[in-house]
Amino acid sequence: MRRWLAVLLLPLALGYAQKPLVIAYQGGAVTLDPHMRNETTTLSWQHHIFETPFFYTPDGKVVPVLAEKIEMVDPNTWRLYLKKGVRFHDGSEMTAEDVAFSILRAATHKKSQMKGYVGKVVAAEALDRYTVRIQTKVPDPLLPAHLDHAAVIPKAYLEKVGEEGFNKHPIGTGPYKFVSWLNGDHLNLEAFDGYWGPQPAFKKVKLVNIPNGATRVAALLSGEVDIAEKVLPQDFPRVERSGVADVRQTPGVRVIYVALDYWRAYGSEGLPKGAKNPFLDPRARKAIYMAIDEDAIVKRIMGGAATAAQQFLAPIHEGYNPEIRRFPYDPKAARKILEDLGYGDTDGDGWLELPTKDGGRVPFALRVDAPNDRYLNDAQIAQALANMLRRIGIKASVNAVPKKVFFPNMTKGHFTMYMAGWGSMDSINTLLSLFHSKDPSGLYGRFNRMRYKNPEVDRLIEQAAQTFDRQKREALIQKAMYIAMVQDVAYIPLHYENVIAGVRKGLVFVPRPDEYLHAYEVKKAR
Amino acid sequence: MRYFAVRFLQMLFAVWGVATLVFLFLQLTGDPMEVLAPEDMSEAQVAELRHAYGLDRPLHVRYLIYMENLLKGDLGVSWTSGEPALRLLAQRFPATLKLVLTALLFAIALGLPAGVWAAVRSDTWVDRGLRFLSVLGISAPTFWIGIMLILIFSVTLGWLPSAGAGNWRHYILPGLTLSFYRIALFLRMIRSTLLDVLTQDYVRTARAKGLAERVVVYKHALRNALIPFVTLVGLQFGQLMAGAVVTEWIFAWPGMNRLALNALFTEDRPVILAFVVLTAGIFAVVNFVVDLLYGWIDPRVRYA
Repeated sequence: MRRWLAVLLLPLALGYAQKPLVIAYQGGAVTLDPHMRNETTTLSWQHHIFETPFFYTPDGKVVPVLAEKIEMVDPNTWRLYLKKGVRFHDGSEMTAEDVAFSILRAATHKKSQMKGYVGKVVAAEALDRYTVRIQTKVPDPLLPAHLDHAAVIPKAYLEKVGEEGFNKHPIGTGPYKFVSWLNGDHLNLEAFDGYWGPQPAFKKVKLVNIPNGATRVAALLSGEVDIAEKVLPQDFPRVERSGVADVRQTPGVRVIYVALDYWRAYGSEGLPKGAKNPFLDPRARKAIYMAIDEDAIVKRIMGGAATAAQQFLAPIHEGYNPEIRRFPYDPKAARKILEDLGYGDTDGDGWLELPTKDGGRVPFALRVDAPNDRYLNDAQIAQALANMLRRIGIKASVNAVPKKVFFPNMTKGHFTMYMAGWGSMDSINTLLSLFHSKDPSGLYGRFNRMRYKNPEVDRLIEQAAQTFDRQKREALIQKAMYIAMVQDVAYIPLHYENVIAGVRKGLVFVPRPDEYLHAYEVKKAR
Repeated sequence: MRYFAVRFLQMLFAVWGVATLVFLFLQLTGDPMEVLAPEDMSEAQVAELRHAYGLDRPLHVRYLIYMENLLKGDLGVSWTSGEPALRLLAQRFPATLKLVLTALLFAIALGLPAGVWAAVRSDTWVDRGLRFLSVLGISAPTFWIGIMLILIFSVTLGWLPSAGAGNWRHYILPGLTLSFYRIALFLRMIRSTLLDVLTQDYVRTARAKGLAERVVVYKHALRNALIPFVTLVGLQFGQLMAGAVVTEWIFAWPGMNRLALNALFTEDRPVILAFVVLTAGIFAVVNFVVDLLYGWIDPRVRYA
């Protein structure tokens, strides 16, 4: 009888032992071809199967993964040395042929979305079984970091099964191998026993897409999933009270910021018709900065799920300058600055005023533009900003619209003041895109929509982008940031969004600042 | 036979019309590259990507290419995943179909008897109670019903799973969520038609013959009340196949409505179009089948 019971219970016990680790994401991978879609969730899922020559650690350092090391031969030529004995999931050894092929594919495939990282690469070839020579069109001091988007795939296998076949059953060198999936919905994985690195803590993993936040939390609390990303602040107490899971947070790299029209003396589109744009003067920009009570935003609107930003770059970024701090919140001083600049209230209605081109004066009205579906609580933050500005005498209103309308409008310059976000691990990319003045070729200042321009800053950024020595590069970034953020008050930083996950008790896991979520970084508590 | 041919042509025309309209409307939503291309690509690289998707060609050329492919049965390739749009939809079609059938099953199993009950006991407390519940069922938003069911049955009681599709237990909550409105709709429909039929002469005759009330209601009256009901069920089926968006989204159901919603968010136009063409086709076919079903239920239609 007892034996029978044991026989009956054995499969149950085995089933329990092999219960997969289930992670719920807000989205799902739409392709398992690692060069075709540059979007966080898709990459997160792919990272289980594929690896890259270099990758970021959670604290922002670039470390070799499939690479042993990399050497610069001349500014346009690099030599990449590979780890030996790395195997693909089909048992074949990864060689320089595969790596060269993969880098070149990410750089040149007509539908590759990785060109923002490796698009400068024009040639990659195997010198011997474990060495690759990489050639770039223009110097790229950050090439090692940029190789974090060049996932290595087996050349022979891809050529055998074709792109469609590869997407159906992808093979990489990662800690997990592909088992099955439904595009955009779930992905089943199994630990690869031939993996070159340490074996992950969980043999089986299931990644699922649960788009609705309330359902994600419900699935976590009912035990269907072990980790649920992007728990909403309003659900924090429910998770904490449940006793089965808790909320874990890390300050992210995405900064929410405010930009002010930096180029039009008159005709700025968020001000009354004909009014002078006061924001060409850094003192006026500083007044707006000092009118914003960021601690209140973090506490009341973000429910603590954000960290007040001292500056544009986050502490884990290369070139973070610890000397740059927030300007203090001081609405009285802010109003005083604007009054001293000649925008005081002369008719006694309480609103500050702006001079017009024809010599008159109009109330200082200001439209705050923001998206309403892009960042956590974006429309509410914009509303809070407007309220704070009204407190210092600016007649502020909010125009919050869907991102599909918002971003094209901002790019076209239909704003005076807007709120948006920016997230990149790469400081040089941030500086080139947002702080360098716009140039017609589109190479610089692509997201410098407010047209901030300081030749000194431009020079420092260009120099940093060509400096191979990390320390010198950091010093240049720090200097450029000091000028831009403190002297020029180019952008007003608000906060870094926290990266949030609900995690089942008994699991060791801290969210990564770059928002990637990997099952192989989850451990069991002892 | 000619009737069949005409109906069939009408069906094709409807699908073509819908495909054209949606194709044109999608153009109004602006440049898909704003959403499709990653932020870190340069303008030249975005232009390359635009060319790869054929988006640098003029509108009428793109439309003609699209129609030509459509006639060949090629619904295009997804811009985000690189897979054929039809295959993506086909992978998810069974999940949606099973969910919709579950919901209709719930709705018929509960709505039909409740409707009969309400009609037979018209103007009693039973009738009033059921009508009150049906107002709730029709006006409660799907979103709210779904979340409530999850909170009660998954989180508090822990009886049923909240997300995804697996075994039969996964079908109950989304199926119920989707059926609430239909239960109420079917109840009201059956009640009013049956009340109407029950006042007809032939029912009085049947009663006068001394037939049992059960036989009168179920065999004589209900059969006639079922004709508009079948139409309604058919229409609801077509509507649900393309209208289970909120339910699929809340319950992370791996169906094609959620795929289409996601395609809308990511500007994956080939998938949006394929979804529209496919569901318009389903709708047309269901209407067609419903017409045929009339003949089965009501012999008068068959002989006419």
